[in-house]
Amino acid sequence: MSGATQDNALKGSGATRIIIYTVLILFMIFYLLPLYVMLTNSLKPLEEIRGGDMLALPKNWTIEPWRAAWSYAQIGVQPTGLKPYFINSIFMVVPAVLISTSLGALNGYVLTKWSFRGSDLVFGLLLLACFIPFQIVLIPMARILGILGLAGTTSGLVLVHTIYGLGFTTLFFRNYYAAFPTELVRAAQIDGAGFFQIFWRILAPSSAPIAVVTIIWQFTNVWNDFLFGVSFADFDSIPMTVALNNLVNSSTGVKEYNVHFAGAILAALPTLIVYIVSGRYFVRGLMAGAVKG
Amino acid sequence: MARLKIENLYKAYGATKVLKGIDLEIEDGGFLVLVGPSGCGKSTLLNCIAGLEDVTSGDVIIGERSVTELHPSKRDIAMVFQSYALYPNMTVEKNISFGLEIRGMTKPDRIKAIEEVADMLQIRELLKRKPSQLSGGQRQRVAMGRALVRNPQVFLFDEPLSNLDAKLRVDMRTEIKRLHKRMGTTIVYVTHDQIEALTLATRIAVMKDGIVQQFGTPDQIYNDPVNMFVADFMGSPAMNLLPGKVVKKADGLMLSLDGHDGVMLLPVPLTDDLQARVGKRVIFGIRPEAFTDPQGADRESKQVEKRDCFVEVVEPAGSDTFAVVKLGGKSAVARLRADAHIVAETVTGLAFNMGKAVFFDPDSGERIK
Repeated sequence: MSGATQDNALKGSGATRIIIYTVLILFMIFYLLPLYVMLTNSLKPLEEIRGGDMLALPKNWTIEPWRAAWSYAQIGVQPTGLKPYFINSIFMVVPAVLISTSLGALNGYVLTKWSFRGSDLVFGLLLLACFIPFQIVLIPMARILGILGLAGTTSGLVLVHTIYGLGFTTLFFRNYYAAFPTELVRAAQIDGAGFFQIFWRILAPSSAPIAVVTIIWQFTNVWNDFLFGVSFADFDSIPMTVALNNLVNSSTGVKEYNVHFAGAILAALPTLIVYIVSGRYFVRGLMAGAVKG
Repeated sequence: MARLKIENLYKAYGATKVLKGIDLEIEDGGFLVLVGPSGCGKSTLLNCIAGLEDVTSGDVIIGERSVTELHPSKRDIAMVFQSYALYPNMTVEKNISFGLEIRGMTKPDRIKAIEEVADMLQIRELLKRKPSQLSGGQRQRVAMGRALVRNPQVFLFDEPLSNLDAKLRVDMRTEIKRLHKRMGTTIVYVTHDQIEALTLATRIAVMKDGIVQQFGTPDQIYNDPVNMFVADFMGSPAMNLLPGKVVKKADGLMLSLDGHDGVMLLPVPLTDDLQARVGKRVIFGIRPEAFTDPQGADRESKQVEKRDCFVEVVEPAGSDTFAVVKLGGKSAVARLRADAHIVAETVTGLAFNMGKAVFFDPDSGERIK
């Protein structure tokens, strides 16, 4: 990905390179500017922001806005900070991602290696789930959560996100396993391995790239979801995104921009970390099977 | 070890019939090769024996037991796949012992079994490696090791040599034959390579369009083919199949062919079937090695006929020289000794070993005895 390798294209002339780099740097600044503004302003006292110069570095550095956002800012009516909601989000995201990824892997395995009459139809229907707009399912989903007794709970949100994620996770794993040699499954069958043994011992150890892709995808989607959170969460299960909205949109008192900025960064942090830690696996996994290796 | 019997086996995918009534039997310790062009159903038949495909009707019997309804793992078979199908995440050792582990064999027993097989195949130094670190020939050995370690009743090989380069293929072929001699286990082997079939088999089944065309020993298949398909498919270069006519002359039945300067007559045996065809067209089949230079002709044969032929092209191939001859309106290949004196575009005397000649009906392709 970096450095001059043999399969680099031919290099352009000096002038072309200068133009390319200028454009690239301009774009980089353009994309990094919001992060810069958020970061610098979250480290300033409120008076400095009111002074008007949004782009300047802080004169008096302070981490007070961060502490406020995390532990004592007013969210709705309670001065709890974002901390409890962050924990709510973790309790929602981790099970939802793990369950939907595991089920997706199992679906992919069945759809490719144990295909049955109508398995293509089942896959088609699962794919369709990827294209259903969120708004359509709100009311039926609320009804079902009510019947199941899960309305307003974190478990309810886990269920909603698992079901909604299943289409995508199945799609990812199905396409990955479609390229997995069926002869291996047959060899394992002759060796006497059963349905789950084949999955665990043969397919799962080779699934790391696609599992990373799926986990990143699901983590980002579930963490960033606002609509399901605002519709189905109760007081004690409100996720981070909704809490951030409550923090920023409170209509009374002074707008504490520095606290808002800090809160917004806190809300974005987990997905950022996930990308930084496993981003290169993401690209590798998306490309897997695209080129004969 | 056990005999294998296939009775009236049919396999259909929807309306498409792939296997149409297969009957085969191979004795205990035999080596059965299924050979045929691609799409003839040979791999499907192997998968039916393995239990990886359900049969539509018919029976597969291993030993005295019908296994048609049994799961692959319960049939007491082991299979070597074309792609080797080694588990990529496991070491060679694990690959070999996976089946034993699944079957609940204890670790000390497994280690003993692995070592035995590793010694037999000379792969001891590879045991700790992953399949991706092995060459094609080594993978092939490991795949065979995985089958051997199970000590099954029947081995199934699905084109095991087709992914190797030409030289390695010949070496591994010998190796498989040696292993078979040593183990004495019944083997069913699928290939599209007729040389592999002839060299390895004790019995060959030549298949086409889901039907066994001929089932017999390599000698029967090669020298006594039942129809033109078998004659043409087995042997390289292929048998010359030349259109001619049976005529009656004063000194017996003759085959009349279009030679380079008019009609060429060759004496044919006085069988009832050929006599019934006097005046009719037949296909004259003669293998290249039975059509050669007079000095190279089989001295044992009673009926060697020398005729003048027009040689179009000469192809020296090291051990032999091939001559392409215009005969019966077609190009026929003669196989000559390497040092035979022969010049292209000349008329040369060549010997026909009529003891080896076969005849076919031009319409049905069936043999005329």
